[in-house]
Amino acid sequence: MINTILIFPIVACLLMLIIKNKCFTTLMVNLYAIIHFVITLLLAFGIGSRSSIPYFAVDNTNLIFLMVLSFVFLMVAVYNNGYVKTFDFPDVKIRNYSFMILVFVLSMTGTILSTDLGISWVLVEATTLSSAYLIYFNRTKHSIEAAWKYVFICSIGIALAFVGIILLNISSGNVNTLNFAQLYKYAATFNPNWLKAAFVFMMFGFGAKMGLAPIHFWLPDAHSEAPSPISALLSATLLNSAFMVIVRAFKIMVLADCVDYARFMMFVMGFISLFVTAVFVYHTRNYKRMLAYSSIENMGILIIGTALGGVAYFAVILHLIGHSLAKASFFLTSGNILELFGTKRIKSISGLINADGKTGWLWVISFLAICAFPTSVLFISEFIMIKTMLLQGHYWLCGLFTLLLTIILYGIGKVVIKTAFGNLSEDKKEQICTNKSRITFGMYFPQFVMLLIVFILGIYIPPFLNNIINCTVAGF
Amino acid sequence: MRWLCYHLLLRECLGANKMVNGFIILFGLTMLYLAATSRIIAHIRILIAQGILLFLICCCGMKHITFLNFAFLTVETLIVKSIIIPAFLYKVLKKTHSNRDVAPNIPHFYCLFIASTILMAGFLLSQYYVSAMKLISPIYFGVSAAVIIISLWLITIKHKIISNVIEFITMENGIFLLSLSVAKEMPMLVNMGVLLDVFIAVYILGLFINVINTEFKDLEVSNLSDLKDYEYND
Repeated sequence: MINTILIFPIVACLLMLIIKNKCFTTLMVNLYAIIHFVITLLLAFGIGSRSSIPYFAVDNTNLIFLMVLSFVFLMVAVYNNGYVKTFDFPDVKIRNYSFMILVFVLSMTGTILSTDLGISWVLVEATTLSSAYLIYFNRTKHSIEAAWKYVFICSIGIALAFVGIILLNISSGNVNTLNFAQLYKYAATFNPNWLKAAFVFMMFGFGAKMGLAPIHFWLPDAHSEAPSPISALLSATLLNSAFMVIVRAFKIMVLADCVDYARFMMFVMGFISLFVTAVFVYHTRNYKRMLAYSSIENMGILIIGTALGGVAYFAVILHLIGHSLAKASFFLTSGNILELFGTKRIKSISGLINADGKTGWLWVISFLAICAFPTSVLFISEFIMIKTMLLQGHYWLCGLFTLLLTIILYGIGKVVIKTAFGNLSEDKKEQICTNKSRITFGMYFPQFVMLLIVFILGIYIPPFLNNIINCTVAGF
Repeated sequence: MRWLCYHLLLRECLGANKMVNGFIILFGLTMLYLAATSRIIAHIRILIAQGILLFLICCCGMKHITFLNFAFLTVETLIVKSIIIPAFLYKVLKKTHSNRDVAPNIPHFYCLFIASTILMAGFLLSQYYVSAMKLISPIYFGVSAAVIIISLWLITIKHKIISNVIEFITMENGIFLLSLSVAKEMPMLVNMGVLLDVFIAVYILGLFINVINTEFKDLEVSNLSDLKDYEYND
């Protein structure tokens, strides 16, 4: 099963090089999304989890990450069918776009399924290189700038992560392996000083990829300049892939009894991420940048939850699922807004609900989902985290956490209310009516499904999903 | 077996243990030259020199090396690092006509001074701290740490985009030297993946330089600062 997920895109890419047809390439993306989803479901039910490819396997930790990736990719693929029709680009460019999406999803899947830290590193870097083209897709001056910063900052970050891997290799003494299971097994024998140094580098390296402050600079630019389906994939799946590698590194620290050091570092980076978002989200003039800052915030919350430990691990997984679905929905809806108004400038948009009711309400409900409005699953996750902070006696941190979240909520809420409600200016009505006809049913449906799941999960978690989450928590 | 004999013979001819320290020191000194010059063609030549030095360090420094590993390291250092990447950058340089990185944020004299201080700190680190550790060669560790830090620092002070790419490659060379400092070897697959990623990263960055060159008047980093939070133009 795992073999199929990893081999299919390679075969599909080769076929795309031979059969140079726009429809065929789009079909391949859809086919891969369906195959990916079906196989992941089977893996979730324990069918065919054995892999004949070395270095890749499904275990307790990565299954939920794979499920999130698979579902978000399926939804993005559905949206993408409508989105591609709005392009005014030559066929070659659209073919390359589909080609790079397959490579990008393949590298993320490989990162998640990898059982070896070295291979994870290689594939994380591969995600950077494959998604650079997608960020640069619009070929504007801004997209060049965003893609350059993305490749350059992430490559440096990932290079530093490799320094971390070398230091980990030094700390492991006579144990010569990068296999996660082996590293966990021998973690207690590692030299703590070298291990701590290794964790600092890995945290900075993979943290850069995850979008944690203070190494987050690429994220607002890349997310805002990429086409909306790519922004959704970047925010809802790519950041999770990097987070998964950090979770694995954190587990080594836990088993090596260096957990306090790791927790301190994660708390610092998590709170800086929240602070940076609170400062910048309030002033940003571009609604896609605002969503990008929200991703930084949520990555900060995930890392703080991981640092808290205990029950907060359960909250981290819930938050991961909720954020991925809600943020993908938010970004896809922002694609509709861009299609309607032709601008990313917040000032130029008002009366979205009047312009297009479905897009307007999806925009508002996505906001409610991401700001943890009950019954959004994010409400449960944030509530558990706050409760854990109080139970552990981190009263000041809890106060700071709620204060920063409130500021961010106000910053995003102000923009959403300003853009969704109010009157539509007369001079734009005609242009919006023309643009509205280009938005197909497939560009509303995925957001609706994802938001429905986010709000249902807040009141009911199906037993099979609950079991998987519990297994993931045990694997932390 | 025959291969091992040839390799050991080569090590003996080169006076391996003494020579390797010399090569590592030379490798560190190339960073001083990089810090003190503004001509980009000279920076590319430094990359070639670093590639050759890394090859010599591999030849002299590694005691138990298999043929496969040696072949891989030769491809990595001599072919990719000394020929392909510099040739590609030279092509980009010719196409973009950006010959000098004039007036970095800090004058060259101070650059040289700071780079020397970092290099000295690297030697001291290796002498007094790392030398007590098993499984690591101290001089490798100290020089590679210094090279990584100098490269990162140079990235922050240079104005030309192509200079940033060159310093990124010197940083990767520093990391390569660091990986040689560990007595254990990384799995071959990881090494190949690392090489492939670095190669593609340089290739993509090179392509972007060409694109930036056609879109903007010159290859200054300051051109790439239009995306801001406080003001936004579509």
